[in-house]
Amino acid sequence: MNYKFLLKNHSALAGAVITLLFLLAIIFWPVISPWSSSAHDFLNVLKQPSFQHPFGTDSLGRDVATRVFEGAQVSLLISLSGVIIAMIIGVSIGLYAGYRGGYFDLIVMRVVDLFFGFPAFVLALFLMVALGFGVTNVSLAIMLVYFPIFARITRNTTEVVKNDHFVQAAMIMGQSTRRILCLEILPNISAPILVQASVAVAFGIVIESGLSFIGLGVQPPTASLGVIMADGQEYFRRAPWVMTLTGLVITALLLGLNLLGDGLRDLSDPRLKTRES
Amino acid sequence: MPAHLKYFLSRFLGALATIVVGSFLVFMVMKAAPGDPALTVLGDFATPETIVEFNKKHGLDNPLIIQYLDWFNGVIRFNFGQSLTISSGQDISDLLAYRLPNTITIGIYSIVIATLVSLVLGTAAALNRGKLTDTATTSFSILGVSMPDFWLGYMLILGLSINIGLFPAYGFISPFESISGSLHSGFLPALAIAAPMAAVFSRTLRASLVENLNRDHVIVAKSIGHSYKFIFLHHVFRNSIIPFVVVIGLQVRYLLGGVVIIEKIFGINGIGSLMVEAAFARDYFVVQACAVVFLATVLVINFIVDMICVLLDPRRAS
Repeated sequence: MNYKFLLKNHSALAGAVITLLFLLAIIFWPVISPWSSSAHDFLNVLKQPSFQHPFGTDSLGRDVATRVFEGAQVSLLISLSGVIIAMIIGVSIGLYAGYRGGYFDLIVMRVVDLFFGFPAFVLALFLMVALGFGVTNVSLAIMLVYFPIFARITRNTTEVVKNDHFVQAAMIMGQSTRRILCLEILPNISAPILVQASVAVAFGIVIESGLSFIGLGVQPPTASLGVIMADGQEYFRRAPWVMTLTGLVITALLLGLNLLGDGLRDLSDPRLKTRES
Repeated sequence: MPAHLKYFLSRFLGALATIVVGSFLVFMVMKAAPGDPALTVLGDFATPETIVEFNKKHGLDNPLIIQYLDWFNGVIRFNFGQSLTISSGQDISDLLAYRLPNTITIGIYSIVIATLVSLVLGTAAALNRGKLTDTATTSFSILGVSMPDFWLGYMLILGLSINIGLFPAYGFISPFESISGSLHSGFLPALAIAAPMAAVFSRTLRASLVENLNRDHVIVAKSIGHSYKFIFLHHVFRNSIIPFVVVIGLQVRYLLGGVVIIEKIFGINGIGSLMVEAAFARDYFVVQACAVVFLATVLVINFIVDMICVLLDPRRAS
Protein backbone atom coordinates (compact mmCIF):
# COMPACT_ATOMS: atom_id res chain seq x y z
CA MET A 1 0.00 0.00 0.00
CA ASN A 2 1.74 3.18 -1.05
CA TYR A 3 0.87 6.77 -1.83
CA LYS A 4 1.62 6.44 -5.54
CA PHE A 5 -1.42 4.26 -5.89
CA LEU A 6 -3.61 7.09 -4.71
CA LEU A 7 -2.49 9.22 -7.63
CA LYS A 8 -3.41 6.52 -10.12
CA ASN A 9 -6.76 5.57 -8.64
CA HIS A 10 -9.04 8.56 -9.03
CA SER A 11 -11.81 7.36 -6.77
CA ALA A 12 -9.43 6.57 -3.92
CA LEU A 13 -7.78 9.97 -4.37
CA ALA A 14 -11.11 11.79 -4.41
CA GLY A 15 -12.26 9.83 -1.37
CA ALA A 16 -9.06 10.54 0.54
CA VAL A 17 -9.25 14.26 -0.27
CA ILE A 18 -12.93 14.56 0.70
CA THR A 19 -12.41 12.62 3.92
CA LEU A 20 -9.35 14.68 4.81
CA LEU A 21 -11.10 17.98 4.12
CA PHE A 22 -13.92 16.84 6.32
CA LEU A 23 -11.66 15.86 9.15
CA LEU A 24 -10.07 19.31 8.97
CA ALA A 25 -13.47 21.02 8.89
CA ILE A 26 -14.78 18.92 11.74
CA ILE A 27 -11.74 19.68 13.88
CA PHE A 28 -11.17 23.33 13.05
CA TRP A 29 -14.53 24.83 12.11
CA PRO A 30 -15.89 24.91 15.66
CA VAL A 31 -12.59 26.50 16.77
CA ILE A 32 -12.45 29.31 14.23
CA SER A 33 -16.20 29.90 14.00
CA PRO A 34 -17.25 33.16 15.72
CA TRP A 35 -20.48 31.49 16.88
CA SER A 36 -21.05 29.14 19.74
CA SER A 37 -23.01 25.98 19.05
CA SER A 38 -25.22 26.47 22.10
CA ALA A 39 -25.66 30.25 22.55
CA HIS A 40 -29.24 31.28 21.84
CA ASP A 41 -29.89 34.42 19.79
CA PHE A 42 -33.58 35.18 19.69
CA LEU A 43 -33.16 38.15 17.35
CA ASN A 44 -31.86 35.84 14.62
CA VAL A 45 -34.21 32.88 14.67
CA LEU A 46 -34.58 30.64 11.57
CA LYS A 47 -32.48 32.94 9.37
CA GLN A 48 -31.71 31.72 5.85
CA PRO A 49 -28.14 30.83 4.94
CA SER A 50 -26.04 33.99 4.54
CA PHE A 51 -22.41 35.09 4.71
CA GLN A 52 -22.70 35.44 8.46
CA HIS A 53 -24.39 32.09 8.95
CA PRO A 54 -23.44 29.86 6.00
CA PHE A 55 -25.97 27.18 7.03
CA GLY A 56 -28.51 29.62 8.48
CA THR A 57 -29.77 29.54 12.06
CA ASP A 58 -32.15 27.22 13.88
CA SER A 59 -35.26 27.86 15.96
CA LEU A 60 -33.18 29.13 18.89
CA GLY A 61 -30.98 31.34 16.70
CA ARG A 62 -27.98 29.01 16.95
CA ASP A 63 -25.51 28.92 14.05
CA VAL A 64 -26.28 25.67 12.21
CA ALA A 65 -22.86 25.30 10.55
CA THR A 66 -21.07 25.34 13.91
CA ARG A 67 -23.57 22.88 15.32
CA VAL A 68 -23.24 20.56 12.33
CA PHE A 69 -19.47 20.34 12.49
CA GLU A 70 -19.50 19.91 16.26
CA GLY A 71 -22.22 17.32 15.84
CA ALA A 72 -20.12 15.56 13.22
CA GLN A 73 -17.37 15.23 15.85
CA VAL A 74 -19.83 13.45 18.13
CA SER A 75 -21.24 11.22 15.36
CA LEU A 76 -17.84 10.33 13.96
CA LEU A 77 -16.46 9.47 17.40
CA ILE A 78 -19.47 7.27 18.18
CA SER A 79 -19.22 5.46 14.86
CA LEU A 80 -15.44 5.16 15.00
CA SER A 81 -15.34 3.78 18.53
CA GLY A 82 -18.12 1.30 17.76
CA VAL A 83 -16.41 0.12 14.59
CA ILE A 84 -12.96 -0.15 16.19
CA ILE A 85 -14.26 -2.32 19.03
CA ALA A 86 -16.26 -4.38 16.52
CA MET A 87 -13.11 -4.78 14.44
CA ILE A 88 -11.01 -5.94 17.40
CA ILE A 89 -13.61 -8.46 18.56
CA GLY A 90 -14.68 -9.60 15.09
CA VAL A 91 -11.14 -9.98 13.74
CA SER A 92 -9.95 -11.91 16.81
CA ILE A 93 -12.86 -14.32 16.66
CA GLY A 94 -12.66 -14.64 12.88
CA LEU A 95 -8.91 -15.29 12.87
CA TYR A 96 -9.19 -18.03 15.42
CA ALA A 97 -12.27 -19.61 13.84
CA GLY A 98 -10.76 -19.59 10.35
CA TYR A 99 -7.44 -20.97 11.55
CA ARG A 100 -8.70 -23.63 13.92
CA GLY A 101 -11.89 -24.70 12.15
CA GLY A 102 -13.85 -27.43 13.90
CA TYR A 103 -16.62 -26.85 16.39
CA PHE A 104 -15.45 -23.39 17.42
CA ASP A 105 -15.68 -22.29 13.81
CA LEU A 106 -19.07 -23.91 13.38
CA ILE A 107 -20.57 -22.28 16.46
CA VAL A 108 -19.09 -18.85 15.71
CA MET A 109 -20.41 -18.91 12.17
CA ARG A 110 -23.90 -19.93 13.30
CA VAL A 111 -23.92 -17.04 15.76
CA VAL A 112 -22.79 -14.71 12.98
CA ASP A 113 -25.58 -16.04 10.73
CA LEU A 114 -28.04 -15.35 13.52
CA PHE A 115 -26.96 -11.69 13.70
CA PHE A 116 -27.28 -11.49 9.92
CA GLY A 117 -30.89 -12.59 10.24
CA PHE A 118 -31.85 -9.28 11.82
CA PRO A 119 -32.14 -6.15 9.69
CA ALA A 120 -29.19 -3.97 10.77
CA PHE A 121 -31.28 -1.04 11.92
CA VAL A 122 -33.81 -3.26 13.70
CA LEU A 123 -30.95 -4.87 15.62
CA ALA A 124 -29.65 -1.44 16.62
CA LEU A 125 -33.13 -0.26 17.61
CA PHE A 126 -33.74 -3.40 19.64
CA LEU A 127 -30.46 -2.95 21.47
CA MET A 128 -31.27 0.68 22.27
CA VAL A 129 -34.45 -0.49 23.98
CA ALA A 130 -32.55 -3.20 25.83
CA LEU A 131 -29.58 -1.02 26.81
CA GLY A 132 -31.21 2.38 27.17
CA PHE A 133 -30.57 5.52 25.12
CA GLY A 134 -27.38 7.58 25.12
CA VAL A 135 -24.00 8.06 23.49
CA THR A 136 -22.24 4.95 24.84
CA ASN A 137 -25.09 2.65 23.99
CA VAL A 138 -25.35 3.89 20.41
CA SER A 139 -21.69 3.03 20.09
CA LEU A 140 -22.35 -0.41 21.58
CA ALA A 141 -25.23 -0.97 19.17
CA ILE A 142 -22.97 -0.11 16.21
CA MET A 143 -20.40 -2.51 17.60
CA LEU A 144 -22.95 -5.33 17.79
CA VAL A 145 -24.17 -4.63 14.25
CA TYR A 146 -20.65 -4.75 12.82
CA PHE A 147 -18.68 -7.37 14.74
CA PRO A 148 -20.38 -10.27 12.87
CA ILE A 149 -19.42 -8.68 9.55
CA PHE A 150 -15.78 -8.39 10.61
CA ALA A 151 -15.84 -11.92 12.02
CA ARG A 152 -17.19 -13.37 8.79
CA ILE A 153 -14.84 -11.56 6.43
CA THR A 154 -11.79 -12.33 8.62
CA ARG A 155 -12.74 -15.96 8.98
CA ASN A 156 -13.26 -16.44 5.23
CA THR A 157 -10.00 -14.77 4.24
CA THR A 158 -8.06 -16.57 6.98
CA GLU A 159 -9.30 -19.90 5.71
CA VAL A 160 -7.85 -19.10 2.29
CA VAL A 161 -4.53 -17.73 3.50
CA LYS A 162 -3.82 -20.46 6.04
CA ASN A 163 -3.13 -22.95 3.24
CA ASP A 164 -0.44 -20.75 1.71
CA HIS A 165 3.15 -21.97 1.88
CA PHE A 166 4.43 -19.27 4.19
CA VAL A 167 1.85 -20.14 6.83
CA GLN A 168 2.59 -23.85 6.43
CA ALA A 169 6.28 -23.05 6.81
CA ALA A 170 5.65 -21.07 9.98
CA MET A 171 3.68 -23.99 11.39
CA ILE A 172 6.45 -26.44 10.59
CA MET A 173 9.00 -24.15 12.22
CA GLY A 174 6.91 -24.45 15.33
CA GLN A 175 5.84 -20.85 15.74
CA SER A 176 3.17 -20.25 18.33
CA THR A 177 -0.43 -19.95 17.18
CA ARG A 178 -0.58 -16.35 18.34
CA ARG A 179 2.53 -15.49 16.35
CA ILE A 180 1.19 -17.15 13.22
CA LEU A 181 -2.16 -15.42 13.52
CA CYS A 182 -0.80 -11.95 14.26
CA LEU A 183 2.41 -11.85 12.25
CA GLU A 184 1.79 -14.21 9.34
CA ILE A 185 -1.92 -14.21 8.60
CA LEU A 186 -3.19 -10.83 9.83
CA PRO A 187 -0.90 -8.65 7.67
CA ASN A 188 -2.01 -10.58 4.61
CA ILE A 189 -5.70 -10.17 5.20
CA SER A 190 -5.63 -6.60 6.51
CA ALA A 191 -6.67 -5.00 3.21
CA PRO A 192 -10.23 -6.38 2.99
CA ILE A 193 -10.67 -5.66 6.69
CA LEU A 194 -9.65 -2.03 6.21
CA VAL A 195 -12.01 -1.70 3.24
CA GLN A 196 -14.80 -3.03 5.39
CA ALA A 197 -13.82 -0.65 8.19
CA SER A 198 -14.06 2.47 6.04
CA VAL A 199 -17.49 1.44 4.79
CA ALA A 200 -18.53 0.47 8.32
CA VAL A 201 -17.58 3.89 9.72
CA ALA A 202 -19.77 5.45 7.01
CA PHE A 203 -22.77 3.28 7.84
CA GLY A 204 -22.11 3.67 11.55
CA ILE A 205 -22.75 7.38 11.05
CA VAL A 206 -26.01 6.53 9.28
CA ILE A 207 -27.06 4.26 12.15
CA GLU A 208 -26.19 6.93 14.72
CA SER A 209 -28.03 9.66 12.88
CA GLY A 210 -31.01 7.39 12.22
CA LEU A 211 -31.35 6.34 15.86
CA SER A 212 -30.89 9.88 17.15
CA PHE A 213 -33.22 11.20 14.47
CA ILE A 214 -36.16 9.18 15.75
CA GLY A 215 -35.16 10.08 19.31
CA LEU A 216 -33.82 6.72 20.44
CA GLY A 217 -30.11 7.50 20.23
CA VAL A 218 -28.06 10.44 21.43
CA GLN A 219 -30.21 12.71 23.58
CA PRO A 220 -30.20 16.52 23.44
CA PRO A 221 -28.54 18.77 24.58
CA THR A 222 -25.67 16.67 23.17
CA ALA A 223 -25.79 17.57 19.50
CA SER A 224 -25.00 14.76 17.08
CA LEU A 225 -25.86 14.90 13.40
CA GLY A 226 -29.02 12.90 14.06
CA VAL A 227 -30.10 15.20 16.89
CA ILE A 228 -29.63 18.27 14.66
CA MET A 229 -31.70 16.66 11.92
CA ALA A 230 -34.44 15.70 14.36
CA ASP A 231 -34.46 19.34 15.40
CA GLY A 232 -34.61 20.56 11.80
CA GLN A 233 -37.41 18.14 11.01
CA GLU A 234 -39.71 19.92 13.48
CA TYR A 235 -39.66 23.14 11.47
CA PHE A 236 -38.84 21.55 8.11
CA ARG A 237 -41.52 23.46 6.20
CA ARG A 238 -40.50 26.87 7.52
CA ALA A 239 -36.74 26.35 7.48
CA PRO A 240 -35.84 23.42 5.22
CA TRP A 241 -32.19 24.43 5.09
CA VAL A 242 -31.35 23.06 8.54
CA MET A 243 -32.28 19.53 7.58
CA THR A 244 -31.18 19.81 3.94
CA LEU A 245 -27.69 21.11 4.66
CA THR A 246 -27.06 18.78 7.60
CA GLY A 247 -27.98 15.84 5.38
CA LEU A 248 -25.78 17.16 2.59
CA VAL A 249 -22.83 17.25 4.98
CA ILE A 250 -23.51 13.63 5.99
CA THR A 251 -23.84 12.62 2.32
CA ALA A 252 -20.56 14.30 1.41
CA LEU A 253 -18.75 12.68 4.33
CA LEU A 254 -20.14 9.25 3.45
CA LEU A 255 -19.26 9.82 -0.19
CA GLY A 256 -15.65 10.41 0.84
CA LEU A 257 -15.53 7.29 3.01
CA ASN A 258 -17.24 5.13 0.38
CA LEU A 259 -14.96 6.32 -2.42
CA LEU A 260 -11.98 5.65 -0.18
CA GLY A 261 -13.29 2.17 0.60
CA ASP A 262 -13.85 1.51 -3.10
CA GLY A 263 -10.36 2.66 -4.00
CA LEU A 264 -8.83 0.57 -1.21
CA ARG A 265 -10.69 -2.44 -2.53
CA ASP A 266 -9.20 -1.97 -5.99
CA LEU A 267 -5.81 -1.54 -4.37
CA SER A 268 -6.10 -4.68 -2.30
CA ASP A 269 -7.35 -6.76 -5.21
CA PRO A 270 -5.99 -5.43 -8.51
CA ARG A 271 -7.61 -8.33 -10.37
CA LEU A 272 -11.02 -6.94 -9.50
CA LYS A 273 -10.25 -3.72 -11.28
CA THR A 274 -9.00 -5.30 -14.50
CA ARG A 275 -11.84 -7.75 -14.54
CA GLU A 276 -14.44 -5.05 -14.15
CA SER A 277 -13.20 -2.65 -16.78
CA MET B 1 -33.37 -37.97 -2.16
CA PRO B 2 -32.77 -35.60 -5.08
CA ALA B 3 -30.02 -33.09 -4.43
CA HIS B 4 -32.18 -30.01 -4.62
CA LEU B 5 -34.79 -31.43 -2.27
CA LYS B 6 -32.09 -32.21 0.25
CA TYR B 7 -30.76 -28.69 -0.16
CA PHE B 8 -34.18 -27.13 0.45
CA LEU B 9 -34.70 -29.28 3.50
CA SER B 10 -31.35 -28.37 5.05
CA ARG B 11 -31.99 -24.68 4.35
CA PHE B 12 -35.43 -24.94 5.88
CA LEU B 13 -34.17 -26.67 9.03
CA GLY B 14 -31.39 -24.09 9.32
CA ALA B 15 -33.91 -21.25 9.17
CA LEU B 16 -36.07 -23.01 11.75
CA ALA B 17 -33.13 -23.42 14.13
CA THR B 18 -32.25 -19.74 13.65
CA ILE B 19 -35.73 -18.62 14.59
CA VAL B 20 -35.71 -20.79 17.73
CA VAL B 21 -32.31 -19.54 18.92
CA GLY B 22 -33.02 -15.99 17.73
CA SER B 23 -36.33 -15.73 19.54
CA PHE B 24 -34.70 -17.13 22.68
CA LEU B 25 -32.00 -14.44 22.57
CA VAL B 26 -34.56 -11.71 21.88
CA PHE B 27 -36.60 -12.90 24.82
CA MET B 28 -33.65 -13.08 27.20
CA VAL B 29 -32.22 -9.70 26.17
CA MET B 30 -35.63 -8.15 26.70
CA LYS B 31 -35.79 -9.69 30.17
CA ALA B 32 -32.41 -8.20 30.98
CA ALA B 33 -33.47 -4.77 29.74
CA PRO B 34 -33.70 -2.04 32.36
CA GLY B 35 -37.20 -1.41 33.65
CA ASP B 36 -39.98 -3.61 34.91
CA PRO B 37 -43.10 -4.19 32.77
CA ALA B 38 -45.28 -4.12 35.88
CA LEU B 39 -43.95 -0.72 36.96
CA THR B 40 -44.19 0.62 33.39
CA VAL B 41 -47.86 -0.24 33.17
CA LEU B 42 -48.98 0.41 36.73
CA GLY B 43 -46.87 3.53 37.10
CA ASP B 44 -47.14 5.49 40.33
CA PHE B 45 -50.13 3.52 41.51
CA ALA B 46 -48.12 0.34 41.87
CA THR B 47 -48.38 -1.36 45.24
CA PRO B 48 -46.67 -4.64 46.09
CA GLU B 49 -50.03 -6.39 45.77
CA THR B 50 -50.91 -5.01 42.33
CA ILE B 51 -47.41 -5.85 41.07
CA VAL B 52 -47.75 -9.45 42.21
CA GLU B 53 -51.19 -9.60 40.61
CA PHE B 54 -49.90 -8.12 37.35
CA ASN B 55 -46.98 -10.55 37.22
CA LYS B 56 -49.31 -13.44 37.86
CA LYS B 57 -51.71 -12.34 35.12
CA HIS B 58 -48.92 -12.14 32.52
CA GLY B 59 -47.14 -15.26 33.77
CA LEU B 60 -44.13 -13.20 34.84
CA ASP B 61 -43.83 -15.07 38.15
CA ASN B 62 -42.82 -18.31 36.45
CA PRO B 63 -39.18 -19.36 35.98
CA LEU B 64 -37.60 -17.69 32.93
CA ILE B 65 -37.37 -20.86 30.87
CA ILE B 66 -41.06 -21.62 31.42
CA GLN B 67 -41.91 -18.05 30.46
CA TYR B 68 -39.92 -18.45 27.27
CA LEU B 69 -41.52 -21.77 26.36
CA ASP B 70 -44.98 -20.33 26.99
CA TRP B 71 -44.18 -17.35 24.83
CA PHE B 72 -42.58 -19.38 22.04
CA ASN B 73 -45.50 -21.77 22.08
CA GLY B 74 -47.68 -18.76 21.32
CA VAL B 75 -45.28 -17.31 18.74
CA ILE B 76 -45.45 -20.37 16.49
CA ARG B 77 -49.23 -19.94 16.48
CA PHE B 78 -48.88 -16.23 15.71
CA ASN B 79 -49.97 -15.35 19.23
CA PHE B 80 -47.60 -12.84 20.80
CA GLY B 81 -49.55 -12.04 23.96
CA GLN B 82 -51.03 -8.67 24.74
CA SER B 83 -49.74 -5.16 24.34
CA LEU B 84 -48.72 -3.44 27.58
CA THR B 85 -48.82 0.26 26.93
CA ILE B 86 -49.28 1.45 23.35
CA SER B 87 -52.61 -0.26 22.88
CA SER B 88 -53.23 -1.66 26.29
CA GLY B 89 -54.73 -5.11 26.47
CA GLN B 90 -55.04 -5.59 22.72
CA ASP B 91 -53.68 -8.78 21.19
CA ILE B 92 -50.32 -8.05 19.57
CA SER B 93 -51.18 -10.43 16.74
CA ASP B 94 -54.09 -8.12 15.84
CA LEU B 95 -51.75 -5.14 15.75
CA LEU B 96 -49.33 -7.08 13.54
CA ALA B 97 -52.04 -8.41 11.23
CA TYR B 98 -53.28 -4.88 10.68
CA ARG B 99 -49.84 -3.40 10.04
CA LEU B 100 -47.96 -6.18 8.26
CA PRO B 101 -49.73 -5.72 4.86
CA ASN B 102 -48.63 -2.05 4.79
CA THR B 103 -44.99 -2.92 5.46
CA ILE B 104 -45.06 -5.72 2.89
CA THR B 105 -46.60 -3.41 0.28
CA ILE B 106 -43.92 -0.76 0.80
CA GLY B 107 -41.16 -3.40 0.85
CA ILE B 108 -42.23 -5.06 -2.40
CA TYR B 109 -42.91 -1.68 -4.00
CA SER B 110 -39.38 -0.51 -3.27
CA ILE B 111 -37.80 -3.78 -4.45
CA VAL B 112 -39.72 -3.48 -7.72
CA ILE B 113 -38.59 0.14 -8.23
CA ALA B 114 -34.98 -0.71 -7.37
CA THR B 115 -34.97 -3.76 -9.66
CA LEU B 116 -36.44 -1.91 -12.64
CA VAL B 117 -34.08 1.05 -12.25
CA SER B 118 -31.03 -1.16 -11.84
CA LEU B 119 -31.92 -3.40 -14.80
CA VAL B 120 -31.87 -0.31 -17.01
CA LEU B 121 -28.84 1.36 -15.43
CA GLY B 122 -26.75 -1.79 -14.96
CA THR B 123 -27.30 -2.95 -18.52
CA ALA B 124 -26.68 0.50 -19.98
CA ALA B 125 -23.44 0.82 -18.05
CA ALA B 126 -22.19 -2.65 -18.98
CA LEU B 127 -22.89 -2.12 -22.68
CA ASN B 128 -21.16 1.27 -22.67
CA ARG B 129 -18.10 0.45 -20.56
CA GLY B 130 -15.80 3.37 -19.98
CA LYS B 131 -18.11 5.80 -21.74
CA LEU B 132 -20.14 8.62 -20.24
CA THR B 133 -23.16 6.40 -19.45
CA ASP B 134 -20.94 4.08 -17.46
CA THR B 135 -19.26 6.87 -15.50
CA ALA B 136 -22.63 8.47 -14.77
CA THR B 137 -24.10 5.19 -13.53
CA THR B 138 -21.10 4.42 -11.35
CA SER B 139 -21.22 7.91 -9.85
CA PHE B 140 -24.94 7.57 -9.24
CA SER B 141 -24.42 4.27 -7.45
CA ILE B 142 -21.76 5.67 -5.12
CA LEU B 143 -23.93 8.70 -4.42
CA GLY B 144 -26.94 6.45 -3.86
CA VAL B 145 -25.31 4.48 -1.06
CA SER B 146 -23.98 7.67 0.54
CA MET B 147 -27.35 9.32 1.18
CA PRO B 148 -29.06 8.45 4.47
CA ASP B 149 -32.44 7.12 3.35
CA PHE B 150 -34.46 9.14 5.84
CA TRP B 151 -32.82 12.36 4.66
CA LEU B 152 -33.56 11.40 1.07
CA GLY B 153 -37.17 10.90 2.19
CA TYR B 154 -37.31 14.50 3.37
CA MET B 155 -35.66 15.78 0.21
CA LEU B 156 -38.31 13.97 -1.84
CA ILE B 157 -41.02 15.52 0.34
CA LEU B 158 -39.46 18.94 -0.20
CA GLY B 159 -39.07 18.53 -3.95
CA LEU B 160 -42.10 16.51 -5.00
CA SER B 161 -44.62 17.19 -2.28
CA ILE B 162 -44.23 20.61 -0.65
CA ASN B 163 -43.13 22.44 -3.79
CA ILE B 164 -45.17 20.76 -6.54
CA GLY B 165 -47.71 18.73 -4.61
CA LEU B 166 -47.38 15.65 -6.81
CA PHE B 167 -47.42 13.16 -3.94
CA PRO B 168 -48.72 13.31 -0.37
CA ALA B 169 -46.06 14.07 2.26
CA TYR B 170 -47.72 12.10 5.01
CA GLY B 171 -50.05 9.15 5.38
CA PHE B 172 -50.52 5.92 3.50
CA ILE B 173 -53.61 4.38 1.99
CA SER B 174 -53.87 0.66 2.72
CA PRO B 175 -53.77 -1.55 -0.38
CA PHE B 176 -57.04 -3.11 0.81
CA GLU B 177 -58.78 0.23 0.44
CA SER B 178 -57.42 1.29 -2.90
CA ILE B 179 -54.56 -0.19 -4.91
CA SER B 180 -53.93 2.95 -6.94
CA GLY B 181 -54.18 5.10 -3.82
CA SER B 182 -51.64 2.97 -2.05
CA LEU B 183 -49.27 3.06 -5.04
CA HIS B 184 -49.61 6.83 -5.18
CA SER B 185 -49.24 7.51 -1.46
CA GLY B 186 -46.50 4.90 -1.15
CA PHE B 187 -44.36 6.18 -4.00
CA LEU B 188 -42.14 8.61 -2.08
CA PRO B 189 -41.37 6.26 0.83
CA ALA B 190 -40.74 3.38 -1.58
CA LEU B 191 -38.45 5.56 -3.68
CA ALA B 192 -36.48 6.67 -0.60
CA ILE B 193 -35.87 3.05 0.37
CA ALA B 194 -35.24 1.98 -3.23
CA ALA B 195 -32.52 4.53 -4.08
CA PRO B 196 -29.61 2.98 -2.13
CA MET B 197 -30.75 -0.50 -3.17
CA ALA B 198 -30.92 0.48 -6.83
CA ALA B 199 -27.36 1.74 -6.49
CA VAL B 200 -26.06 -1.56 -5.14
CA PHE B 201 -28.14 -3.65 -7.56
CA SER B 202 -27.02 -1.80 -10.68
CA ARG B 203 -23.40 -2.05 -9.61
CA THR B 204 -23.65 -5.80 -9.12
CA LEU B 205 -25.47 -6.29 -12.38
CA ARG B 206 -22.93 -4.21 -14.28
CA ALA B 207 -20.00 -6.16 -12.79
CA SER B 208 -21.45 -9.56 -13.58
CA LEU B 209 -22.60 -8.53 -17.08
CA VAL B 210 -19.11 -7.25 -17.88
CA GLU B 211 -17.58 -10.46 -16.58
CA ASN B 212 -19.89 -12.61 -18.67
CA LEU B 213 -19.47 -10.49 -21.80
CA ASN B 214 -15.83 -11.57 -21.96
CA ARG B 215 -16.32 -15.27 -21.35
CA ASP B 216 -15.29 -17.87 -23.89
CA HIS B 217 -18.73 -19.15 -24.76
CA VAL B 218 -19.85 -15.62 -25.60
CA ILE B 219 -16.89 -15.14 -27.92
CA VAL B 220 -17.69 -18.47 -29.56
CA ALA B 221 -21.32 -17.47 -29.99
CA LYS B 222 -20.18 -14.23 -31.60
CA SER B 223 -17.89 -16.07 -33.99
CA ILE B 224 -20.69 -18.44 -34.97
CA GLY B 225 -22.60 -15.33 -35.98
CA HIS B 226 -25.50 -15.23 -33.57
CA SER B 227 -27.18 -11.86 -33.36
CA TYR B 228 -25.96 -9.58 -30.62
CA LYS B 229 -29.40 -9.42 -29.05
CA PHE B 230 -29.64 -13.22 -28.91
CA ILE B 231 -26.19 -13.55 -27.37
CA PHE B 232 -26.90 -10.88 -24.80
CA LEU B 233 -30.22 -12.33 -23.69
CA HIS B 234 -29.34 -16.02 -23.74
CA HIS B 235 -25.66 -16.16 -22.92
CA VAL B 236 -24.82 -13.03 -20.99
CA PHE B 237 -27.93 -11.90 -19.19
CA ARG B 238 -29.03 -15.32 -18.06
CA ASN B 239 -25.69 -16.02 -16.42
CA SER B 240 -25.59 -12.60 -14.79
CA ILE B 241 -28.97 -12.83 -13.16
CA ILE B 242 -27.89 -15.13 -10.31
CA PRO B 243 -25.49 -12.75 -8.55
CA PHE B 244 -28.19 -10.15 -9.06
CA VAL B 245 -30.80 -12.25 -7.25
CA VAL B 246 -28.30 -13.09 -4.50
CA VAL B 247 -27.66 -9.38 -3.91
CA ILE B 248 -31.38 -8.67 -3.76
CA GLY B 249 -31.56 -11.28 -1.00
CA LEU B 250 -28.62 -9.76 0.86
CA GLN B 251 -30.03 -6.25 0.61
CA VAL B 252 -33.30 -7.25 2.25
CA ARG B 253 -31.57 -6.79 5.59
CA TYR B 254 -30.91 -3.15 4.82
CA LEU B 255 -34.24 -2.67 3.12
CA LEU B 256 -36.16 -3.75 6.20
CA GLY B 257 -33.92 -1.59 8.37
CA GLY B 258 -34.72 1.42 6.20
CA VAL B 259 -38.42 0.68 6.45
CA VAL B 260 -38.33 1.45 10.17
CA ILE B 261 -37.44 5.15 9.88
CA ILE B 262 -39.20 5.72 6.57
CA GLU B 263 -42.50 4.44 7.98
CA LYS B 264 -42.10 6.80 10.89
CA ILE B 265 -41.42 9.80 8.64
CA PHE B 266 -44.25 9.17 6.21
CA GLY B 267 -46.75 8.15 8.87
CA ILE B 268 -47.24 4.62 7.55
CA ASN B 269 -48.86 2.22 10.01
CA GLY B 270 -46.41 -0.64 9.57
CA ILE B 271 -44.29 -2.97 11.65
CA GLY B 272 -41.35 -0.56 11.67
CA SER B 273 -43.30 2.37 13.04
CA LEU B 274 -44.97 0.00 15.50
CA MET B 275 -41.55 -1.02 16.80
CA VAL B 276 -40.46 2.61 17.21
CA GLU B 277 -43.68 3.54 19.01
CA ALA B 278 -43.36 0.50 21.26
CA ALA B 279 -39.72 1.37 21.98
CA PHE B 280 -40.78 4.83 23.17
CA ALA B 281 -43.66 3.49 25.23
CA ARG B 282 -41.45 0.75 26.72
CA ASP B 283 -43.93 -1.84 25.50
CA TYR B 284 -41.52 -4.75 25.88
CA PHE B 285 -43.88 -7.39 24.54
CA VAL B 286 -44.53 -5.49 21.32
CA VAL B 287 -40.82 -4.73 20.79
CA GLN B 288 -39.84 -8.38 21.08
CA ALA B 289 -42.74 -9.44 18.85
CA CYS B 290 -41.60 -6.97 16.16
CA ALA B 291 -37.99 -8.14 16.44
CA VAL B 292 -39.08 -11.76 15.90
CA VAL B 293 -41.32 -10.79 12.97
CA PHE B 294 -38.42 -8.96 11.32
CA LEU B 295 -36.15 -11.96 11.88
CA ALA B 296 -38.75 -14.31 10.41
CA THR B 297 -39.24 -12.02 7.41
CA VAL B 298 -35.53 -11.95 6.60
CA LEU B 299 -35.32 -15.74 6.94
CA VAL B 300 -38.35 -16.33 4.72
CA ILE B 301 -37.01 -14.00 2.02
CA ASN B 302 -33.55 -15.55 2.17
CA PHE B 303 -35.15 -18.95 1.82
CA ILE B 304 -37.09 -17.83 -1.24
CA VAL B 305 -33.95 -16.32 -2.76
CA ASP B 306 -32.07 -19.56 -2.17
CA MET B 307 -34.80 -21.49 -3.92
CA ILE B 308 -34.87 -19.12 -6.89
CA CYS B 309 -31.09 -19.43 -7.22
CA VAL B 310 -31.23 -23.22 -7.24
CA LEU B 311 -34.01 -23.16 -9.81
CA LEU B 312 -31.93 -20.83 -11.99
CA ASP B 313 -28.76 -22.83 -11.51
CA PRO B 314 -29.31 -26.40 -10.25
CA ARG B 315 -25.57 -26.84 -9.69
CA ARG B 316 -25.82 -24.70 -6.57
CA ALA B 317 -27.73 -27.43 -4.74
CA SER B 318 -24.80 -29.83 -4.60
